[in-house]
Amino acid sequence: MASGHVTKRAKYKTTIKDPGTPGTLRMTLEKILFVPHNPKSAGKLDVEFRFIKGQKHTKEGSSKPPWLNLTNNQNGSFIFEFENYSDLQDCRDFVGKVLAKSGEVSEKPTVTYPDEQLSAAEMELRIKLLREDSELQKLHKQFVLSGVLTEAEFWATRKKLLDREANKKTKQRLGFKSAMISDIKPSTDGRTNKVTFNLTPEIILQIFAEKPAVHRAFLTYVPNKMSERDFWTKYFRAEYLHSTKNSVAAAAEAAEDEELAVFLKQDDILASESRSKIRRVDPTLDMDADEGDDYTHLPDHGIFRDGSKEVTESENELYRRTLSQDINRHAAVVLEGRAVDVELEDTRSVAEALARSKQESSTKGESYGDTSRERLDRVSRMTEIEDLQAPNNLPLAPLCIKDPRDYFDSQQVNALRTSGDELAGTEQIKCSLSSQEVYGSLRESISVIKAMGLKDPIVKPEVAHQVFDALTQSISTTKYNIGKNPQESVLDRLPKKIKEELLHHWTSILELLRHFWASYPITTSYLYTKVNRLKDAMSHIYPQLEEIKGSVPSDLRHQVSLLIRPMHQALDAAIQHYEADMQKRSARSGERPNGYA
Amino acid sequence: MKFQIEDVTVYFPYDHIYPEQYSYMIELKRALDAKGHCLLEMPTGTGKTIALLSLITSYSLSKPQSPIKLIYCTRTVHEMEKTLAELKLLHNYQIKHLGPQARILAIGLSSRKNLCVNPTVLAAENRDSVDAGCRKLTASWVRAMAAENPNVPTCQFFENYEKAASAAVLPPGVYTLQDLRAFGKEKGWCPYFLARHMVQFANVVVYSYQYLLDPKVAGIISKEMQKESVVVFDEAHNIDNVCIEALSVSVRRQTLEGATRNLNRISQEIDRFKATDASRLRSEYNRLVEGLALRGNLPITDTWLSNPALPDDILKEAVPGNIRRAEHFLHVLRRLVQYLRGRLETDNVEKESPVGFVASISSHAGIDQKTLKFCYDRLHSLMLTLEITDTDEFLHIQTICDFATLIGTYARGFSIIIEPFDERMPHIPDPVLQLSCHDASLAIKPVFDRFQSVVITSGTLSPIDLYPRLLNFHPVVSRSFTMSLTRDCICPMVLTRGSDQLPVSTKFDMRSDPGVVRNYGKLLLEMVSVVPDGIVCFFVSYSYMDGIINTWNDSGILKEIMQHKLVFIETQDVVETTLALDNYRRACDCGRGAVFFSVARGKVAEGIDFDRHYGRLVIMFGVPFQYTLSKILLARLEYLRDTFQIKEGDFLTFDALRQAAQCVGRVIRSKADYGMMIFADKRYSRHDKRSKLPSWILSHLRDANLNLSTDMALHIAREFLRKMAQPYDKTGGSDRKTLLSQEDLEKMGDGSVHEMLY
Repeated sequence: MASGHVTKRAKYKTTIKDPGTPGTLRMTLEKILFVPHNPKSAGKLDVEFRFIKGQKHTKEGSSKPPWLNLTNNQNGSFIFEFENYSDLQDCRDFVGKVLAKSGEVSEKPTVTYPDEQLSAAEMELRIKLLREDSELQKLHKQFVLSGVLTEAEFWATRKKLLDREANKKTKQRLGFKSAMISDIKPSTDGRTNKVTFNLTPEIILQIFAEKPAVHRAFLTYVPNKMSERDFWTKYFRAEYLHSTKNSVAAAAEAAEDEELAVFLKQDDILASESRSKIRRVDPTLDMDADEGDDYTHLPDHGIFRDGSKEVTESENELYRRTLSQDINRHAAVVLEGRAVDVELEDTRSVAEALARSKQESSTKGESYGDTSRERLDRVSRMTEIEDLQAPNNLPLAPLCIKDPRDYFDSQQVNALRTSGDELAGTEQIKCSLSSQEVYGSLRESISVIKAMGLKDPIVKPEVAHQVFDALTQSISTTKYNIGKNPQESVLDRLPKKIKEELLHHWTSILELLRHFWASYPITTSYLYTKVNRLKDAMSHIYPQLEEIKGSVPSDLRHQVSLLIRPMHQALDAAIQHYEADMQKRSARSGERPNGYA
Repeated sequence: MKFQIEDVTVYFPYDHIYPEQYSYMIELKRALDAKGHCLLEMPTGTGKTIALLSLITSYSLSKPQSPIKLIYCTRTVHEMEKTLAELKLLHNYQIKHLGPQARILAIGLSSRKNLCVNPTVLAAENRDSVDAGCRKLTASWVRAMAAENPNVPTCQFFENYEKAASAAVLPPGVYTLQDLRAFGKEKGWCPYFLARHMVQFANVVVYSYQYLLDPKVAGIISKEMQKESVVVFDEAHNIDNVCIEALSVSVRRQTLEGATRNLNRISQEIDRFKATDASRLRSEYNRLVEGLALRGNLPITDTWLSNPALPDDILKEAVPGNIRRAEHFLHVLRRLVQYLRGRLETDNVEKESPVGFVASISSHAGIDQKTLKFCYDRLHSLMLTLEITDTDEFLHIQTICDFATLIGTYARGFSIIIEPFDERMPHIPDPVLQLSCHDASLAIKPVFDRFQSVVITSGTLSPIDLYPRLLNFHPVVSRSFTMSLTRDCICPMVLTRGSDQLPVSTKFDMRSDPGVVRNYGKLLLEMVSVVPDGIVCFFVSYSYMDGIINTWNDSGILKEIMQHKLVFIETQDVVETTLALDNYRRACDCGRGAVFFSVARGKVAEGIDFDRHYGRLVIMFGVPFQYTLSKILLARLEYLRDTFQIKEGDFLTFDALRQAAQCVGRVIRSKADYGMMIFADKRYSRHDKRSKLPSWILSHLRDANLNLSTDMALHIAREFLRKMAQPYDKTGGSDRKTLLSQEDLEKMGDGSVHEMLY
């Protein structure tokens, strides 16, 4: 079963009513291939597995023939009719495994190239995003369709949107399920007293993690001493005995069958594990230490039978296991998280992987000396009274940029462009600095900045002052105009159409400016043309804004002009920069005959 | 901050202080000045421990000519660690401000199991085997043997400690158990014996209740404490039960069988000694003629749990002649065991007073009261003479002798109850003879007599006038403080009906009703989806909890709960429970959230805090009444009625409500913390029950919250949590300060705090 493909005879049906085309079904890890026996017939099929979303199949014993129904992500389906149920089962298991795997394997990070070949899925995703977000759609229509930006450029700054959709599943590692495994209910076939348990590698991993003794038994017994099937049969027999809560019967059966006894007995690995764990437990809740201190718990001392202590049958204690123990163990395992990071294929590999990860963690656990430090810290944290004291360290979470690509995407796109026409453009500066030298010089310049401040501040103080003045003034005038209602903003007072127009212009200006500034310094001819395109687009917007200003009624004109002014200023700054740069460039172009196109 | 309370400069390690902490200190100082006992109830979460520690240490610093010693008793080891951690904080602060003159020595003391650093001894499972393992290596005769024969194993740590002799001292500082172990390891000295030795020099000793209350332990450990000590019993709401437990013994069939085996072994040993070293037995005889006072000179390693509280004059008396010889004593014990075996063979429940029982022993087995009284010491002496080190094997005969000494010593306050089987499982014969103590004042009396000031304090001592009666003492100060809250950060509710509007209760006739179980489950299910982080549930007993969890599991409620939070359960296995708690905390820390199922009167309810995100909600399912059919409880109630005129019903309600309040009070630690408390039983809405709750809970229990159903409780919970999430002014605004700075205190001077508080 572990092999990478399955080949079966089957009939392919396009609908349930379709009599079907007989042929051979071959499934590999990547795709499903169906070749009809009659080469002329039309039912040839070649589907990749990643389009398959799920599977359905008919039950054995039902009136229907053995059908396997694979649904793809466009809600279409492929139905195969097999010759018998065992074929169906093989295929079903195989599909299940492949599907489970494809859900987990993360997609390889792809770098978007300028003239990328988009897969259908990606295209679809983009279309979906545009459909969902009308604003995005408007921008897209405005710039991409009019040719100001290329499709790739437009999306390059929005990689995050694309990624989130695509990698939603793989971002987070899956833990164990919260539900207990005792919840696997057997399915009965209704005729005999036989019950069937469906075990997936997922469940098996969980059983192994929660019951180390079962895990050990599996590693020692299977396949030398018994088959895997026998092993699990025994296991569920033991579980059944537990569920009957009849410890006498359990003891009797265990006495007869030593392998069964392994499952019935208290887990000795757990016991020893807990003994080592108890040493690392938080001392403020170490009740085991009390036991060692408490002289009233000498046997036969203290009040024995006042109803507060519980009565338990002490015989067969060995074979008693309570629900509470199971629940505690389960919760502990869920909390620990999944240590195994392999593809869950078959039981053997699951068992071995778990054993490996256990070994690692136990060697880690050896270094137990430094935990005492941590224990002390925990105690002092538990004892301090927080509000009697000024907080000694501000409760700030350190800034953590989860995905730096959000910030550097636009730069990356430009860098990629460079790689294309490097030869034609600037001569490459050959840098042969060692990383240490680079680091050293970086440190040096940082320390210089630290000491002297920025020589060339991003914003000159005078300018900043001017901006602030303007802002305060405009805020105070608006306040004066609107009155005291803080809920109402200037925009709300404008007619709806104008408001929308303004907002749209604002977003499109932002989009253009983002691309514009990201293109500097111009190093390639591609950027050069791009900047030109952007500049044209910007100068188009300019008069449009003026138009809006002119169209509003006079009482609002002041407000609107206040709103439009920053947009104009931003555009002005960009165009100024562009012109200055052009002049510099033309001044230089004489010296460099093979300048930019 | 530092401030004056009358003539004492108090050093307090925080920048601010709660007004109730300030007035708590004033009351405490009054008691210290009067050299009398006091009883103080202050709500949990108002920093009782630190207020207490900083006042008493400052008090002792301000009177250097007659420094007082502080003996701080906690119920559990982890509370001990916490107290010492707080003391460490305080001590660092005092040193910073006062310099080296503020140096004190503070140590925690526990059993060998918690202090031993010898890996071979530590490998043993429980406390008794660790004790025995230690004795095997350190007993005086073992060491004498080792001096001759190098193959006899000894404990390197103890040998080093002995070698260092008087140089083996702890430098001043605050030592938690862990610090002691670390120090011992570093120096190669045995931390246990070092700590035992240092107890008499320490300024602050922190140990468990038993070290003072249990006469078996108190005899050796607390012997040398001077009268000028302040004894503090923290979290003392259960102190009467601890006292009673300390003096109660039960004898079962297994005990008698074990005792018989022990006697056979002793008899073999005697024969062996007679053949090889008869002089030892003779010298023991001579010593016994002179009296038992010799006991004091035994090497430190040979002492064991000593005899029950014996008045001093008995110690000077000679052992009665008929048990001075080892064989004779053995015969006495055999007769006693035989007699007890006969008494166990009964079909009916029998109840007897100690006087009657002693008379009947005297007539049937021919052992008089005086002989009985000396049994424990005589056994101790015999075992030392016979050089028995594996004392953990001899627990059974020790129990028998303990029993004999108790009935020989006390004529009142006890009763002997023989039950042929457990009431709840009548089909399993399990006869037991129980000597149960009813009078809590017996065990604590020596403490009140011996020490200058005894402070009994807890978050729940309501009704506060009951404790002096139960413990039979006269406090000079007895006060109950309320809590001044900056905002309503506790939200108690009484839930009387489930989501289907039917009443919920754990009353005997209702508790197994599937409707009630389902309603309880629904309540929890609704709450786990609303309340963030940790939720704690308390049930009335283990068996009830087991039953209800199984039902929830079958009906799928448990599965639904698990979808919201992880579930952890207290079991009777301490190790497992500890690990479950640790995991619970981790689940709360990492944001996963968890529910902890626990039992009122269980170990978790007694000592574990669920403050901050570890417990945003406590649900008390039912009223935790004691098992009222218990013969022992009935006998105790009868005794209380006859002696103290306390009505049965009143005592039972008082006891149940203090347990409930105790469970619920574990959610709050400071005024910045917040938590909800749900009392899920219709009986809580009755005034006679509710009014027994401590006043700090009652004052927040609004009339509107007295009769809720699940949906209403859910609504209130949502509102409450939303309100608590808002930022607030920690100092409590201008009119009513709930946080005082040093200037505030200076401005007010003495006295005016009271006006502000009340």
